[in-house]
Formats: sequence, structure tokens, C-alpha cells
Amino acid sequence: MFNILKPGTWFAPPHPLIGQNREAFARFDQSRPLTDYTFVVCDTELTGFDRKRDEIISIGAVLIRDLQIDLGATFHQYIRPRNIEHTQATLIHRITPQQLMEAPPQEEVLPAFVEFMGNSLMVGHFLALDMDFLNRAARKVLGGTLSNPGIDTMRMAQGYQRVLTGHFQEEEDRSCSYALEDLAKEYHLPMFKPHDAFEDAMQTAYLFLFLLKKFRKGGLLTLQDIYQAGRVGNMWY
Amino acid sequence: MAIFKGNDVHAVAPDVAVAFFQGIMPFNTLDAETLGDLARHCRIDFFPKGTRILTADTTELTHLYLIQRGGVKAFLEDDNGEVTLKDFRGEGASVGALAIIRGTPANLNIETVEDTFCFLLPREIFLDLIEKQAGFAHYYLKSFSEKIVTTAYNELRHHKVAPRRNEDLYLFSIRVGDLVKTLRKVAATATIQEAAAFMSEYRVGCLLVHDTIDEDKIVGIVTDCDLRSKVVAAGLDYKEPVATIMNSPVQTVLSQSLCFDVLLKMMATGIHHLAVERGGRIIGVITSHDIMLLQGHSPYYLFREIRAQQQITGLYPLARKIPEVIRGLIGEGAKAGNITQMIAILNDHILGRILTLLEQEMGAPPVPYCWLLLGSEGRREQTFKTDQDNAIIYGDPVDEAEKQAAKTYFEAFAAKAIDHLVNCGYPLCPGEIMATNPLWCQPFSVWKHYFDHWIAAPEPQELLNSIIFFDFRAGFGETILAENLRAHLNREIAGMDLFFFHLARHCMETRVPLSFFKNFIVEKDGEHRNRLDIKRQGLTPFVNFARVLALKFGVKETNTLARLKALMEGEQIQGELWSAASEAYELQMQQRLVHQLRQIETGILPDNHIDPADLSDLERRMLKDAFTVIDRLYGVLERMYPVV
Repeated sequence: MFNILKPGTWFAPPHPLIGQNREAFARFDQSRPLTDYTFVVCDTELTGFDRKRDEIISIGAVLIRDLQIDLGATFHQYIRPRNIEHTQATLIHRITPQQLMEAPPQEEVLPAFVEFMGNSLMVGHFLALDMDFLNRAARKVLGGTLSNPGIDTMRMAQGYQRVLTGHFQEEEDRSCSYALEDLAKEYHLPMFKPHDAFEDAMQTAYLFLFLLKKFRKGGLLTLQDIYQAGRVGNMWY
Repeated sequence: MAIFKGNDVHAVAPDVAVAFFQGIMPFNTLDAETLGDLARHCRIDFFPKGTRILTADTTELTHLYLIQRGGVKAFLEDDNGEVTLKDFRGEGASVGALAIIRGTPANLNIETVEDTFCFLLPREIFLDLIEKQAGFAHYYLKSFSEKIVTTAYNELRHHKVAPRRNEDLYLFSIRVGDLVKTLRKVAATATIQEAAAFMSEYRVGCLLVHDTIDEDKIVGIVTDCDLRSKVVAAGLDYKEPVATIMNSPVQTVLSQSLCFDVLLKMMATGIHHLAVERGGRIIGVITSHDIMLLQGHSPYYLFREIRAQQQITGLYPLARKIPEVIRGLIGEGAKAGNITQMIAILNDHILGRILTLLEQEMGAPPVPYCWLLLGSEGRREQTFKTDQDNAIIYGDPVDEAEKQAAKTYFEAFAAKAIDHLVNCGYPLCPGEIMATNPLWCQPFSVWKHYFDHWIAAPEPQELLNSIIFFDFRAGFGETILAENLRAHLNREIAGMDLFFFHLARHCMETRVPLSFFKNFIVEKDGEHRNRLDIKRQGLTPFVNFARVLALKFGVKETNTLARLKALMEGEQIQGELWSAASEAYELQMQQRLVHQLRQIETGILPDNHIDPADLSDLERRMLKDAFTVIDRLYGVLERMYPVV
């Protein structure tokens, strides 16, 4: 096992899922039409925003294929936190402590989620936060981070707003909020219950579909177009 | 627990889909488990405003579309690019059901008029529901465009809700075995030409094809349609055996099947000729046409009945069937323009029959005459509630004797006719604008004089008369009299700017309903407080606008949509304004018809007062859009006849 003299054993080898995941995106092609990709829109519920102490207690996700939300491919799972005392004190979610006690640990949930994601692109609202916690967990459980490229719907919305207002300068001149709920209201999307990982993932999926197709109607046909013209942000997290 | 929902059939369906299905017909009749299963097979798609979803005759349906948010318009486009709006559909409505059930490409163009989210239900699953869930087939019958289906649906409603007269229930009492006609068949080796000759001889639209050796063994069927598409259009040799074009094997139904069930089968399969089987033998063929003729509520049936009626009293019950027929057309989704045309045609035939029989009873009139229809009847825009507005114009008598004879004859003639019309369900005109009023039963020269006077002196009463009378058309009799009067009017009215100025100003007196209460302008007080008078506030401005310009530019049409179209073709109004005005006008007509239909169905006298609370969001927004068009119409009049 671990041998101080053999650097190769300093870190446990990554889980096979991580290997597959890396391989899948090793030569990722951004130039294909949008319809060629599948997307996993996800949201996580956390015990708090402290990177050291807090953890993921719920993952919700839904698959988009052919640029349509596939209701046959959804993922929703609670995760039993290691520090349940701490959790109870900070809960703002709909999840009851009882549900959390009965939930499987992240060692079970995370591999299932990585499998669910497969070769899809990750989509989330303020995705960086979710990815931060997911990768933290992945490193612990699977010995490596996820390679799936990501798209942040918040940045897409900012890009869309720039197109709408005709202001392409960097400064944001927008007074209202880019919170998921507020954007959904503004675009007249069907509304979901907030603070539930799955409902938020669905809400984000609607927002993503809305923005993606608006961009597409505007002539942005490939993933690269969306990244560049929409200035959705960095592809890699 | 569990939930990697990928392929797990026990996974919990997303609440959003289940809740959506629970809120719409006919899915709300399904149990929770079925709904959960449906939901897992759905996809959700988004179509930005202005996206073409389906193209008529082209798009093959793989899914049923159910609108979750937003709205679409359904329209047809002919070869010249002319667009006919058929329908608007909003949240909870479906798109593509008809095409899926029939197995044909889309029958209408569908385009989103708002940002629209749809649930997509796979075709196979939808068909499975149609087959297995009784309520489903019945529900979607409504959206079939064939008249036959509408009547079937009406029958169904009678059957379920209010079974009244037995004769209304043919579909549920008559078995196809009772309808089937003499069996006509031909050998499979006969040539196509022989088969066609045989069909002509026996005046049948289809022919069964039997085995060459065993005459009782039916191997196929050939129809008019096959001759058209597989032979003439394809340039096939007429000497080929008929077996090459027949449909095989023949679809059969049992002779004891109810007509209703057979109709369902025809609609589900799209096959309109079925062989009828009794005791294992084919005894003949049943067609959708045969079943349609059974129906008391098809316009065609009513039309035939009216034409064949020999007693005036026999027309009374027929006239009272008109609302029933119209109800069917609305249920079927026919557009308002067509519906009002149909009402006009049926009413015209009732009138024509009454007057023909009356002439037979009273003897021929001493001079030729024409029965004029005025106001909304003149414009072919009646709905369910139609007061009589009519007049008689007759040829100028040559001498005093003829003058007296004409006066006496038409006085008695009008009195009887009006009486019969009342018995047919057309109420008297409260303003006495009827042929029984001596003022409005006059020879040609007097009418000319009336018209000249109204044009020359546009005082309030004269203006009011011109509004009602200048929409006249020939209802029955010597049409040439009406045509000559129209020609005279158009000649005299040209350049009468003072008249037009007053007519235009009168038109603009109706406020544009743009200040809104709950998004709508409504009556502020009185019985209809908080209600929108869709006729006075919504439709009349369009009618008035079209009349002013039609008279100004010598357009002979009286129908508002026809006037607008003629004005567009004459380039007197812009194409864009024409299409906006036509759509807005027709949409409101539709609202009005549906509103009145609902009232009739609940036993209330139909009126024009719509409660905005009864409208869906989409309907409200569309009406609001329609009202903004009025503002544009007034703009045109304002520029033409400014108050200096």
C-alpha cells in the first residue's frame, strides 16, 4: 500500500469511473452542433458555504438530450452527512433530519451520480459552487475530479441580457437580480419550488433550454458559439 | 429510496409533469400510476416565439405536443402564400393529435406566438391511450376536422348528457348491418377499366374484389380514390388487372356493430370504406358517407332537408336545428369566418324556401321583386342571436293599376313571410326594419330616392339608416334589382366627402378599448358591469371601418372580411394592416361565437357580454392585441378625414 519511498503510492489510484471520465473528455470537440451533446443540469443542496466544514446533502439532476428535457432520466438523492449534529443546526432546506439519517453516504451516491452524468456536459446556475463541492467529494470518494466541461446558466443569462439591451461592454448595467428564481419570473418560465435540489435542477433546466434556444434562434449553432458569443465563461472549472 | 432514475421504472415521476397532466383534459381522468408512467416518458421542449413547430402536409408527428406555457397559432397557407388563420391554442391545449390518430403528416401549420414550453408525449404512448382509455377517443373526436366527427361528438354528448329525442341517437341505435347496400364485386382478374365501368354503372364509390375461382372469397377493395391516385395520376395502364391497385386485405366490421363504433374505427384507421361481415361472409360495404347521411346535425343533411321541404311549417323545426349544426362546427374548430358563412347559407335557404312556397301559395307577384337582407344579415355576419333586418325592393310599376296590385300583393306577402320567419326562430326587429314596414317595401325608384337623400343630408337619423341599409344584399328573388341599386349607390356616393366625413367620425365615436380593468376595458355600470361588450366595443369598429372604405372605393362586397380583402387587393389599405385587421376581427368573432354557444348550452339567451375573468391569459392577451389594431384603423380614418 502506501510506501513513503515509492511516490507512485502516495495517492490512491483514482476510481475507474474517474479514469473513464477523463478519457471521455481528453479530446473534447466543441465545434459540433448543439444537438449532438447531452447535458446534465444539476443542483446541490449544502449544509452551508464553508468549504472546510460543509458538505453536500442532496443532488438533483435532469438530462437534456436533443435539446429536450428527458423526464425519463432524472437523478435525485439525499446524502447522509458525516456531521449530522452540525447539519441540523444549519438546515434551511425542506429535507428533514430523519430523511438525512436514512440517506446513503456520499460513498454510494457520488459514483451513481458520476455514472448518471456519463459523457454529458454539466449545467448549473452558478455552477462553480456546485462543482467545487462535487469535486471536493469526488476527490475524497473517487480519488480525482470530474472532467466534464461546464456551462453556467447565470453567465448565459448575463450574455443574453447583453444581447437584449445591446450593451456589449463588460460592465453590468443591470439593476435586477440574476438569482434563479428572479430570472425564471422575468422570462415567464414555469416556476418550481426553490430550495430543493431536484426542483432547482428542473428550474435551471428550463432556464438553460430557454437561453440555449434563444441563442440558437440568434444563429449560434455550436457549443463553441455559445461559449464565445454568449461569453458563458470558462469551459473548464 | 433509490434514485438513479435512468432506467428504473419504479422511480418517482417529476411532480411538474404529473401536476400538469392532472390539470388538463382528458388526462385528468387517468389514475396516479398511469400519469406517473406517462410523465417518465415525456420530454420537455422550448420553442421561442415565432418558431414553426409543424408544417402542414410535411411534418411527421413523433410526439403529441401539450402546451405548458405560451401559445401557438394554427394556420394554412395556400400556393400563393395566402395565410388562413384557423385557431389559437394556449396552455393545456394539444397539437398534433389529429395527425397522430390518422397516421398522416400534420394537417395545419403550427407556429408559436409566444415563448412556448411543451410537454412531448411519444406517439405510440398517445395511441395506446386512445385505444385503451375510453374517454380519450371521445375527447379527441372534437378536434377532427371532418364534419362527420363533429356530429358524432354531438351525438355522444346527447347520449351522455341529455338524451332527448330518439331520432337524434342514430349512431347509438342503428347497426351497420341495417345500412349496408347491395354487394358489388368484381373478379381480381378483371381489368381496371372494367372495374371502373362497373362502378359507374352502379354509381358506387368502391368495389369489392373477389377471388377468381371462389366468388365468395373477398380479397380486396378498390375505391374512387385508388382510381384517381394509383391509376390516373400514376399513368397506369387501364388494362392491368384490378388486383394491382386494390387494397388488401379488406378491413371488416361485424354487421351487428353500432354505427358509432364503426365511425370510431374509420377515424382511428383513416379507412373510410369497411367491408361488413355477417356469419363469416362479406355482405357489403359501409362508408363514412353512409353514416354521415344518418346524422341530423350535419350541415349537409340539414341543407338537403331544407331544399326538399314542401311545407312551410315543415321548415320551422329545420330552422331551429341551425344552432345545433353551428355548435358542431364550432366544436370542430372551424374558424369564425366560415361559421358565419355557414349560418348565412342555411338562413338564406330557409328564407328562399319560405318565399318560394309562399309564391306558390299566393300566386306569382305582379312585378319582379328582391328580398333584401340588411345589417349583419346583409354582411353575412349573423351569429346565434339574429333579429330580422329585411326589406323588399320591387320593379317600378308601369301604371296605377300595377302600382296598387304590387302594393297589395307585397303587403300581404311580407306579412306572411315575416310571420313564418318568426316561427322559424328569427325574432322581430325592434326598430321595425322589416319588409312589413311600408317604408321598407318600395319600388326601385323610391329606394334610389331614399339612398340619394341619406347621402346628401347626413343628419344623425340618415347616417344611422345608411349604416344599416348600405350593407344590403339580395336574399331571394330578382338579384338584378339589388345589383342595380348597389351600382346606383356606388355611382352617387363617389366624391360625397361630407357624407364620408360624418360616417368616419361616427365610426370613431366608439372608444378604442385600451384602458383596462384587469387588462380589459369593460362596461362601467348597469347590468353588464365589468363585462366587455365584444360586439359593440370589439367588432363594430372593424365593421364600420370596412364599410367606410368599401363605400368610398366602390367595393361591392358587404361582408367585413371580404371588404377588407378587396380593399387590400385594390391597394387601398396595406397588406400588413389587412392581415392584422382580419386576424383581429376573426379572433373576436370566434370569441363571441364560443361565448354564445356556452350560453346556449347552459340555457341562457345568448348575448355579447364577456366577462374577462372567464378568459384564459392567452385569450386575454390576444384580445388586447386585437384592440390595438382598432387604434390603427382609426389612424387611417383620421388621416383621411381630419377635423380641420
